[in-house]
Amino acid sequence: MSKRNLIVLALCVVVIAQLAVPASLIIKHEMTLQKGEVFLFKTRPVDPVDAFRGRYVWLGLEPASVKVPDVQEWTYKQKVFAVLGRDTNGVAVVQRLEHAKPEGEPSVQVRVGWHNNSANEVSISWPGLDRYYMTEKKAPAAESAYRNRSTRENQTCFVKIRVLNGHAVIEDLLIEGQSISDWLKNQ
Amino acid sequence: MNKKAIQWLYDELPRLVKNGVLTPDAEERLKAHYGPVEKARPARLAVIIFGIFGALLIGAGIILMLAHNWENMSRPVRTVLSFLPLVLAQCMMVWTLFRCPKSVAWRESSGAMLFLMIGASISLVAQTYNISGDLPRFVLTWSLLGLPIVYLLDAVVPALLYLWGITGWACYLRGEESFNGGYWLLAFLILPQLALWLRSGRYKVQPTLLLWALCVSVTIAAGVTIERVLPGLWIVLYMGLFALMFLSGEFWFRDAEGFWSRPLRHFGAAGVLVLSFIFTFDWPWKEIGWHHWHWDHPANLWWRGIPDAVLGGVVPIAAIVLLVMTIKRKTPLGILFGLAPVIAVIGYSIARPYGKFYSPAAVLFDGYLLVIGLWLLATGIRFNKQGQMNVGLMALTALIIARFFDSDLDFLLRGLVFIALGIAFLVTNIMILRRKRGET
Repeated sequence: MSKRNLIVLALCVVVIAQLAVPASLIIKHEMTLQKGEVFLFKTRPVDPVDAFRGRYVWLGLEPASVKVPDVQEWTYKQKVFAVLGRDTNGVAVVQRLEHAKPEGEPSVQVRVGWHNNSANEVSISWPGLDRYYMTEKKAPAAESAYRNRSTRENQTCFVKIRVLNGHAVIEDLLIEGQSISDWLKNQ
Repeated sequence: MNKKAIQWLYDELPRLVKNGVLTPDAEERLKAHYGPVEKARPARLAVIIFGIFGALLIGAGIILMLAHNWENMSRPVRTVLSFLPLVLAQCMMVWTLFRCPKSVAWRESSGAMLFLMIGASISLVAQTYNISGDLPRFVLTWSLLGLPIVYLLDAVVPALLYLWGITGWACYLRGEESFNGGYWLLAFLILPQLALWLRSGRYKVQPTLLLWALCVSVTIAAGVTIERVLPGLWIVLYMGLFALMFLSGEFWFRDAEGFWSRPLRHFGAAGVLVLSFIFTFDWPWKEIGWHHWHWDHPANLWWRGIPDAVLGGVVPIAAIVLLVMTIKRKTPLGILFGLAPVIAVIGYSIARPYGKFYSPAAVLFDGYLLVIGLWLLATGIRFNKQGQMNVGLMALTALIIARFFDSDLDFLLRGLVFIALGIAFLVTNIMILRRKRGET
């Protein structure tokens, strides 16, 4: 193979690889958005000091902890699967934690945090489901709306998430039953 | 031979011939002996520099514009937009490769542009689908996709961006307490290109820039990739690393001209001096050694000790091998700086026997820094090397000031010593300047 052909071949491989990464991300997320099962997650307030201002709303999904039969089975920072279900109000709950992706049941990968031995609970975080991007002008307003409606007294904020084969994508942020962008327009 | 000196000689030749000092024949023979001097072309250099900066600014601007979050755009439009800058930058690279492969300005700027656009494209997709979190993975994907640009375009700016990316990746992972030893493998991937550049010209701009960046990157990475299961191992590792840099510079880049064209030597020397100064204090020697092994390491994995053993062993040993070779060459400065890891190992083993109040290792480094400082000062004065002399003086001054603040001497004495040091600086510099003027 001549040097020129080799360069052309390498060039093709590089160009395709560079395009393939964003393309595969798009396909994976589109598939989940199109075919995934919808879950509504309750939210909890996040520390306002910790929240990045401006470009996105920092989300904290509920539940933040899960009851388990044996807390010692789970280690700090371990990646595990939360098997999802719904309560009587149709809000997402975590039924149990699994080490491997359960077949035939909707699940999301979560990360184990601290143990609470007395309550037989482990805390979990939802990596990849903690940001909702908005324009820099609207994000602060959305963030304060989110925070005010994620308290115990006023729980009218939900995150709509689609789940397919253990992969979860945020579809929308709902405030008082409306999409956040519509809700902000009506204010 | 120094290019500037030859240029000066060539500029002088017509006058020398005119005044009868040289015959025209001798002038021709001198020119034949030294060969032609390639003059730097400032215009071309400006085009390259502005091209690179232009590409970096435009690239960063596009990333910022995309970060604005255009909410009115539908998902399909955003999808097209995520690819648009990337495809345009790829077209620019293809155009450069086939239309003007010899132009450094095009190669560097299109490489820089494409590198940034890979990141922009992935970020926009992440924004559209609210993908968050895994920043290290994003940076790693970005860097790895950008690495082939270095080889395809033979460009140094993407190589610098790649190094920045993998260093950042290692630092992020350290923050998460995840394993980041893969950095060394990733850094290794850039070395074939460095070898190619070194073969085509050891003192050219591309390898020199990459070496500077490598020095910075490796220095940061050494700190974030050791697992710290054995407290104080960094002392031996860093001294080995800086000595290795210095000795490599002395061995393979001896003929370079000027400060900036000797990255290994100067970065290594600065590292040895700064660390030696730090090690003259007592605090680095506290609670180190086998007795303080971290069994409670957060990851609690035994194999995490292996990278530490490899890094903390290979780097100082390599430096010591080079030191042995330096001893055979009999270059005193190389031996002096090359001894740093040996002294660090001795210091480490005598750090704090029997719970002494002040570590003998700190005293050892007091002595080492004093010897280096005096040597640099003396040889600087002897051979009219003003820079070297000032570095020696600075090392001595730092040492004296630090020990003065440690001790309980009265202000009058401290003041007098400061004045004496100031006078020493002035006198030696004036002396060298006069001598240099006398020579010219």
